[in-house]
This record gives sequence, C-alpha cells and structure tokens, in this order.
Amino acid sequence: MTWHLPTSVDEVLRLRADNPEAPIVAGGTFLGILVRQGLVEADDWISLQNVRELKGLGDAGDLSVGAMVTHRRLELDPKVFGVWPGVSAAFHAVASPRVRNVATMGGVLADADYASDPPSMLVASNAVAEVASIRGTRRIPVENLIVGHYSTALEEDELITRVLVPRPTGTAVYRKLRTRSQEDRPASSVAAVVSGDTVRVVVGAVSDRPHHFPDVCAEWKPGDETSARAIGEEYASRIDYIDDNRGSAAYRRRVVGVEVRRALMAVGS
Amino acid sequence: MTTSERQPDAPGASSAVTGINPRITAGIRYPVDGGIPGEWHLRIIRSDVPAGRVTGFETSLLDDEIVFISPDDVKELPRFGCQIADQIVLTREPKFVGDAIAAVVAPTLKDARVAASLVEVSYEQRTAVYDELAALRDESPLVHERHHTSESDSAYFDMRPQDGTNVCHRFRIRTPNLRGREEVAVVTDLTDPDEPLADAFDDAEVIVDEVFQTPAAAHVPMEPHAANAQWVDGRLEVVTGTQTPFNMRQDLAGIFGIAAEDVRIVVPPMGGAFGAKTFIRTEAITALAARLTGRPVRCVLDRDEVFNEVTRHPATVRVRLGAKKDGTFVAKRIWAYVNTGAYADCGPGVAQKMGYAGVGPYRFDHVAVDSYCIYTNLPPGGAFRGYGAMQSVWASERVVDMMADQLGVDAVELRRQNLLREGDTFCTGEVMHDAHFEELLDDAAAAVDWKRDGDRAGKGVAIMLKGMQTPSTAEARIELLPDGRYEVQAATADMGQGASEMLTRLAAENLKCETDQIVVCVPDTDRVPYDTRTTSSRSTHMMSRALEEAARDLIEHGRVGHGHVSNDGGLDPDTGQGVASSHWHQGSASADLVVDEDTGVIALSTLYASSYAGKVVNKHGAELQQEGSMTLGLGTALFEELQFTEGQMTNPNLSDYNIASALDVASISHRVMELPGAEVHGLGETAVPPVPPAIGNAVASLGYDVRQLPMTPERVLDARREQEES
Repeated sequence: MTWHLPTSVDEVLRLRADNPEAPIVAGGTFLGILVRQGLVEADDWISLQNVRELKGLGDAGDLSVGAMVTHRRLELDPKVFGVWPGVSAAFHAVASPRVRNVATMGGVLADADYASDPPSMLVASNAVAEVASIRGTRRIPVENLIVGHYSTALEEDELITRVLVPRPTGTAVYRKLRTRSQEDRPASSVAAVVSGDTVRVVVGAVSDRPHHFPDVCAEWKPGDETSARAIGEEYASRIDYIDDNRGSAAYRRRVVGVEVRRALMAVGS
Repeated sequence: MTTSERQPDAPGASSAVTGINPRITAGIRYPVDGGIPGEWHLRIIRSDVPAGRVTGFETSLLDDEIVFISPDDVKELPRFGCQIADQIVLTREPKFVGDAIAAVVAPTLKDARVAASLVEVSYEQRTAVYDELAALRDESPLVHERHHTSESDSAYFDMRPQDGTNVCHRFRIRTPNLRGREEVAVVTDLTDPDEPLADAFDDAEVIVDEVFQTPAAAHVPMEPHAANAQWVDGRLEVVTGTQTPFNMRQDLAGIFGIAAEDVRIVVPPMGGAFGAKTFIRTEAITALAARLTGRPVRCVLDRDEVFNEVTRHPATVRVRLGAKKDGTFVAKRIWAYVNTGAYADCGPGVAQKMGYAGVGPYRFDHVAVDSYCIYTNLPPGGAFRGYGAMQSVWASERVVDMMADQLGVDAVELRRQNLLREGDTFCTGEVMHDAHFEELLDDAAAAVDWKRDGDRAGKGVAIMLKGMQTPSTAEARIELLPDGRYEVQAATADMGQGASEMLTRLAAENLKCETDQIVVCVPDTDRVPYDTRTTSSRSTHMMSRALEEAARDLIEHGRVGHGHVSNDGGLDPDTGQGVASSHWHQGSASADLVVDEDTGVIALSTLYASSYAGKVVNKHGAELQQEGSMTLGLGTALFEELQFTEGQMTNPNLSDYNIASALDVASISHRVMELPGAEVHGLGETAVPPVPPAIGNAVASLGYDVRQLPMTPERVLDARREQEES
C-alpha cells in the first residue's frame, strides 16, 4: 500500500490523474468507516493533509472555504459565525467535536452522504464548489454537485479545492431534527436562507439528495403562518422519502412539513 | 485513603485509588492488547442463513498454510452451555445468521480475513422463526429438535423445558391459593382469559390488563471480545476478557475432557462488558484452534461480530393487575415471553428474574407468573445490565400508572399504599428486610416536584426491586508479601466498574493499612480462589464480606488469610417459592419532560434515579455506576434497538445503532442512598430498570401511550394517532 502525501494542489491533481482509483483522503471520518467495514480497498491513497493551500479560509467578498477547512473551524470562526451564521450552525450540528475537529468541507461534499447536515445549508446559501483537474478549473453550484446517493457530478480526475458561499443579505436558519442520540445524523435537515423578500428552502437527509423547489418558495409571504404551512405541506408532498434507522418514509413525510414551516417562521419573523 | 503518588504501571495499579485512573492514561493492557509471541489468528466463518444445514465447504482457494476447521473437527467434543447444553463449538446446523460454522487460522490477521472470505459455503435452508410469540404457534419450526440439559455449575435450578415446543425453560410463581390447578403447559395467546386462575381476581373491582414490548439491544463494550489460547504441557491457558473465569474453566474442561485444574483462565482488566462477556463466547473455538495448530491462537471479534455475539433478550410482557376501588392491590398475573434466540445461554435465569421482578415491590393477596424462555432464530440473548428486570419493570410500572388513571388517584400515592415494607412477604415467600421503597419513592417524586393530586403533566415515576444471583459463593485470600505489602487474590473481574479499587479499599480498611500497601492480583484461576462470577451486581456485596473474613483470618494466623461466604437459596421453578435473592436491589426513578406534538420528539428536563446502596465503599465509583446505569436506561427508553430483516441484523455498527452520548445526559441527576452501618448492597444495575417506565409514564401523562421500547418520536406520534382513532 502506498500513502501519497502531496504538498500542492498541482501535485494532487497529477497523482489523481495517474491513479484514478486512488481514494483521496481529507479528514478520513467517512473513508475510515468504509475501510473498517471492508467496503473500500486500494493500493494507493492520496492524503490531502499536507496541502496547505487547501486550508485557507477567507471572507473577502464571498466566504472562501478551502477543501481542508474543518467543520470545527467553520463552526467557531468569529467571522463565519457573525456573517454566515447559517453555515456556522449547519457545521456545528454535525456529530461531536471529535468528528468536527477533523471532518472537512471538501469531504462532506465529495462523499455526498444523504445523511449529512451541511449540504442543505450550502445549497440554500447558493454555495458553489470550485473543482480542479489537470484539464483546468470549473465551478459547480452545490445544488448540481450532489446528484444522488454517494454520487456527485465530479469527473474521475477532479478535486474540490474550495467552496464559495455568497455573503447573505437576509437571515438564515438551520433546523436539524434528531430522533435518537443528540450526536446522531439528521432525520431531516432543513435550511432556509432569505434574500430580500425571497427565500431558498432546502430539505436534506430525507432522500438521496437535498431538495429545493423554487416555484414553491416563490409563494412565501414573510411572517405569514398560512403561507409557511402551505409551503411545508407542498415540500412534504413532493419528496420521495427513504426509510432508515432514524425514521420511516411515512414519519419523514409527516415531519418535513413541520420543519419547513418552523424554519420559515424563524427566518420570516 | 492515602494521598501519596503511585505509578500507573506499578503492581496492582488497575485501580484508581490515587492518581489518575490508568483507564484514561492508556495505562492498562486489555485482552485486546495482549498477545502471545508466535500466535496465529483465528477468524470465524459464520452462517449466512438463519436456519438450515451446511451441505458443503469449498476450500480449494486456501493457501496450504491456512488451517481450516470444520464441524467434522469438533465431532468428538460434547455439547456445552451455561444453563442448557445446547451449543457445539462449530455447528453444521446453523440456527441464526452469524452462527459459527467453521474457522480459519492463519499467521496474520490479514491472511485470516482473506482466507475466511475465500471459503464458499453451501446450505440447505430451513424455515426460521424470529418472534417469541410466533415461535409458540403449533406450526412453528422447532429451533432445537430436542431439549438438552446442562451439568454446568452456572445452572442452579431445575430446568422446565416444554417438550414439542420452543420453550426451553418455564418459570412459574403461584402463591399458595393458586397451586394445584389444571393448567395448560404454555399460554400462547396474549388475550387468554386465564380461566384456571381467574378467581385470583375475584376481589378486584378494577382490572388493567396490557401488553408491552422491548426489542433486542446491544451491550456495546468499547473493547471487543478478545481471547488468546495456548496449550502448555497438556494444560490449556486462556487469557481472555470474561466476567465468568471459574464457569469458563469448568466449561472448557468439560469440552476438552480434561480436569478443571488443567485449565487456566487469566482475566486482564476489560474495556467494558455489561454482561456481553459471560460464559463461553469465542474461547472454545480459540482453544480448539490452538490445540489443532499446536501454537498459540488469538481471536478478536470485529464490531459487527460483537453486536451479533450476544444481545439483550427481546421480550413481550403481559401484565394483569387487579385492585379494589380504594386502591388496594389484590392480584397480579404476568406472562413474560423471553426471546432467547438460537441458544439458551443464561436465558432461563433471565426469564426467572424477569418473572419475579415484574411483580414489583408491592403487596398482593395472589400472584401468578408464567415466564417462558423461548428459542428463535435470532442471535442468542444473554446477560445484560438489568438482567430481565428492565423488560418486566417497563411493563409493570406502566400498568401501575394505568391503574391510577382508572381509579382516578395519584400515581405516587397508589404506589405508597401498596409498597412492601419491612417484614412484609414477597410473592416468593421471602420476608422483606432492609426495605427502603417508600423513601426511594418519595425521593424520586420530590426530584420532579411531584405534588399530591396536582398537575402531573410531563412527569412520571417508577419503582422496582431486582434480585441478585442466589445462591452465590465468594472466596477471597489475602497474602502478606515479602516486601510487607498485602496481595488480594479474588476472582472479581475488573471491567471498568472499579472492582480492583473496591478490593483495594476494602482490604486496606479491614487490615487497617494504607491503600498503597495493597496489591490486587488479576483473576487467574491458578492463583485466586473460587468466586461465582462478576455479574448481577453481586461482587461488592459478596466480596466485602469475604475480604472481611480473610483479613480477620490473616490477622489471626499470620501470613495468609482466607475468607469464604455463601448465600443459599433459589426458587422452585413450578411455584416460585424459595429465596430469590439474598438481598434486594431497590431503586426508583422519575422524569420530567415535554413532547413535541408535531414531531414526537421527547425533551427531558429532569431524569432522576435513586438507589439504595446500604454501605458505600467508594462514593465516586458508586455515583459513576449509577450514572452509567441511567445512561443505559435512557438509551433503552429512547433509541436503542437492534433491527433485523429475515434474521439478519441490519444495524450492527455505531452509526446505525445509537447509544447515548455526552450530549444526551445533561438532564441526569441522582442519589445513591447510603445507610452507614448497613450491609453493602449491589449497585451496578439498580438504576437501569426504573428509567424507561419513569420516562414512559411521563410521556403517557401527555397523551402518548407508547407500549413498545424504544419510545422513538415515530412511535410517540403513532401512539397518539392510535388513541385518536380508537
């Protein structure tokens, strides 16, 4: 087994192009589990831990989050907490400090695990992933990046290098519904981000990927309980739910409407 | 207690009498860390089918050096089992998904894993049954074609297998007036009118008759099962994590046809057990592999194997409670259906304790209990913190609240009116001594600001009694070492509960010396005297007396002191009369909470438990035991559940199976009720059983009558919906 420790993005991209089967390891919280369970095996591994340029966190204009920035930094950074409180809240909601100390922005998006907290908030915030390969760089809205269970729009040789989150102009709320331990993953993950009189509501952790219905959101009247309830019910009815240990599809259908309504009332008051 | 510094790696440093607990500083070598130079690694090949027959193994892909062990290699070995000899080391007829059907031994763990994956198994599948009540139906397949018995000294009572059924043991209580009736052997219907005993309820003006369920659950010790075995000059040496070294010694001697003295069991401190490391787990196959290969062999289970190795018994419990209009309890009838899975393990004992614990600390004119230990094709149930009491206390304490509702009286006062007091007679015929139920009840009620006949919305209480393994024997020896220190030799295993510290403190107290003069020898059957086992919250209760005697003996006779205590007893399996427990674990709990009516999420503001401890040996340790029990009770109440599809466990990992985390326990507070001068009472499990019904009663007070654990938000909402629909 070979453990590659590149120190620059260029080096990572070349290694990956040469070893398309080599898993890229960021924080290792997800891959570690898969390896322990025997679900992932490889001869070559590419670690990002020595790539300093992936660890940058900047707030000039957009929030610029390097792929190796940890959940814990996003949770605790005063600037993120002050200007992007929704983002901070979504990363704070993940697991425990032990996990958040190592889990990364790039990792949570590349894994595309349906049961993660951050994706719904990143989609609601109009976040964009910057993606590089030896062929060049492109930007993919997070909304289009996660396409299904553990699958993304990334090409085999591409690496998420950073995520850009526009500066919000309105309030943002993240609601995580926990049905078991407080350290559990969400049974539903609802993010609502306001911009002027409009809102982006995104529901995650209840199906294969986060869901956003702009036409439903367009009906929103800030602070109006009836409109919040109607939007919640419409969201609830449009999603094709999954069953898992955190709740049946029927239960999720019942609570998504509630959680969306509560998120809308929280951002709109 | 001394304040002097002690090196974490000094002899006897498995305790935290002074300094930093070596469990925190990685100062302990656990069985999983161990290893004998030159040892090979064993992987168990497990059944993919819940019931059937192995028709062939394809092993042609295995390298020459790999040792493959099949059921043919164990043909000469007798059956074993702590209470019923229904297991064999490797079976050709698997009875659950995960049953051990073969094994491979290889020089490295990686080689062993690869080898295990290369063995192809073909099966002839048979019909399986998973539910304890389905297993009682006439058309149900029999998990074992015939019933077995056991010679093991772990079985202290006569077995009552029911021929032609999956019931491997039936335990009954019949108070005097209810004996000698014409009854069916097994009551299989949850709505059975119970005609033969119906007159027990003649004086009852109100009857509540309800059914409750608990699922299988996992112990989740941090350290997996880890065994190391070696044959030395015809003797078998096993270094393993076990709570039952002397039972293990006897059972391995029986399997290999050698004298017990030719088996040595050494037990380093364990990284948690909670009942999961009792009796033979992987030790027999590991020892066999060591014999076949002529070298030391090691077996460490993966996490998913730990989940499947042994579980908490799923159970369905029906409780019928009769009272007069003035609140006086008249009669109680219990039917407990205990799902012991593919093998009995200690299921018969669990069924017995589930049976009498469900009666609760109350006076009755008449009590009748039927508790059935039932085979199914699930992984075996075994010892689990709370040992059957939790399942029946969950049912019986919910029923007391239902009775209070029916009578329109205060639920605490109804309990008070009927509690067992000093000198009252329990349903087993035992006269209660050292009874503190009323004080415990008041303490729990006060913790949630319970007002008599006041608004109790969101509040719940529960009270219970639990027995200790009886009969029971403990021996301890104290030896004066050449350097002037004393070595305590006792078989009490340290699994994180503070056993070594307990032994250290008690020895120092009895010898009137400093604790740094005491060295504790880890359990080693070649070196320490006999003890029943480290289970059922018995160790501090028993060893405190054995050590006192040993210290007295040593002071009297010089260099070595020996202590021996024995509690006689046991219950008649047909009448439930006798001595259930040499002393009673008495506990209460209360909860204050709100329920989110739209999502069903329960938010606890207070979760309280009060347990009677008598004399406390180590206050900090006692408090940790109490908190640990409550944490388990909280997880049991709210989210712990093993799930199965066609007998295959679907959540054997810590992502899909949740246990309570640090963030879940903020509401916990408690009291360890001390009584200086009283005898030492066991405390390791007392706070587990009352927690789920205290929470359940609080949830029910808000209009959500949940009958099935855990009380997930979904079940909470469903309970309201069902009530509205009916």
